[in-house]
Amino acid sequence: MEGQAPQPNGPPTTKLGITNVSKIFQSANQTVEALGPLDLEVKEGECVIFFGPSGCGKSTLLNLIAGFEAPSSGEIVLEGKPVTKPGSDRLMLFQEHGLFPWLNVIRNVTFGLRNERRFRFRPRKRREVARSWLKLMHLEEFEKALVHELSGGMKQRVALARALAPDPKVLLIDEPFPALDALVRAKLYGDLQEILVRTRKTIISVTHDPREAACLGDRVVVFTPRPGKIKKEIQVDLPRPRDINDPKVAEYATQIMGELEGQPDEKQPS
Amino acid sequence: MKSNQAKRAVFDVLLFYVLIFAVWQALFSAGLIPEYLFPSPAQVGKRLWELAADGYLLHNVKATLERMAVGFSIAAAIGLAIGLLMGTSRIVNSCLKSLFLGLQTLPTAAWVPISLLIFGLSVHGIYFVIILSSVPAMAIATSTGILHIPPLYLRAAQTLGTRWYAMPACVILPAALPAIITGLKLGWTFGWHGCVSAELIKSISGLGFLLSMGREVNDAPQVIGIMVVTILFGLLLDRFLFGIIEQRIRIRWGLEQNE
Repeated sequence: MEGQAPQPNGPPTTKLGITNVSKIFQSANQTVEALGPLDLEVKEGECVIFFGPSGCGKSTLLNLIAGFEAPSSGEIVLEGKPVTKPGSDRLMLFQEHGLFPWLNVIRNVTFGLRNERRFRFRPRKRREVARSWLKLMHLEEFEKALVHELSGGMKQRVALARALAPDPKVLLIDEPFPALDALVRAKLYGDLQEILVRTRKTIISVTHDPREAACLGDRVVVFTPRPGKIKKEIQVDLPRPRDINDPKVAEYATQIMGELEGQPDEKQPS
Repeated sequence: MKSNQAKRAVFDVLLFYVLIFAVWQALFSAGLIPEYLFPSPAQVGKRLWELAADGYLLHNVKATLERMAVGFSIAAAIGLAIGLLMGTSRIVNSCLKSLFLGLQTLPTAAWVPISLLIFGLSVHGIYFVIILSSVPAMAIATSTGILHIPPLYLRAAQTLGTRWYAMPACVILPAALPAIITGLKLGWTFGWHGCVSAELIKSISGLGFLLSMGREVNDAPQVIGIMVVTILFGLLLDRFLFGIIEQRIRIRWGLEQNE
């Protein structure tokens, strides 16, 4: 976990720049304008939440940032370098854990480290880093366990450890932990915020749950329905760690939700 | 740890085989079929014992297994490589899939005449039959397994910084391993068929050779005895080698519940 100390004082710099980005899906018989064009800046150490109804293109934007797809126009720039393909500097945490069942827990966590130049041919160092992340997730006793032996919440925590171990410049989260029950989710929100505070990691996450957005985000970006554009940005000025059931979080959630309700004849998020 | 239920099942199976031998013996005792065509279990057992006693049976079982070891290893390497190509390239897949499905319908013994034409009586002809009998099944199973890998695994590997040339070893083959093992098992069975068929005609050793020799000297106990041995070895390798590996992998991959 070296090199993740909080930034020294001074204004936070721009980590990720999105300029004039749009995405148009073309198939044989139809053209869908899914996204934009839009501009957005994400600052170092910031947690930005994309919020909007289903199909507003917020997940598409996340895929563009991750490099799984190329934008139809515009440019995404991470620390001055344009994004062209997937890579561990913009690591994505998926809705489902996506752990590899043929590897045990610790080998899942070291998987990404094997691709990092600074860890090449240094298996002991890889294991050390993986163990420290597993410890942070309270999973140090399960490093030899197989994926199918873990509970749903544990799997997500291993996935989080795997995503953080290569020290990504930006962590992308596609709908955090939707398949889990409320108690486990509340625990994971706590873990995630602990990591936010401890590592000052830059995070971009997508959700259609206003409470989740208010609980996790420094800034919530509200999207319009298709084609997705930025309707409003809301700063959430609450101290961390935040409790998802805190009335102040609920207040922000109401405000975030209110931004959506102004939109006529569109499906509301469930 | 074996439960009572499992013990009971083993007992039932044993009982079933005892019953088969009893029916066999009863048919023999009824004398409906001439003895030289339909020997008793005891006669078959006696003949097998004679063959085993001077090491002749073991020598021939070894010959067949050695051919399988060589032929199947080559076939597995070819089948995996072609399957990997088919699984990762749409064009290769659409071209080869129909060809291999067609070849798979060909009875394995049908490869024997062409192998005689090409290789004469040399052992290479047997390898040829094993390889051509088993490669199509393994290639198709491997490619199908690869095409059914959950896209999530591939995306997860990409976002974790895996480069394209590392994908087969790090993700594609392990993710498709359950299907690949099933394919290997199927390929082994086809190869085994092909090997024994080829030995019938073009060999001076092996289980197939013992079968055809038994026929030539009108030795029904030997023919039936060697058939039983062939079944036993086929079953042994299928169930206890591939079967156990397959099940362990399926449990680990979360495809089957551990009982």
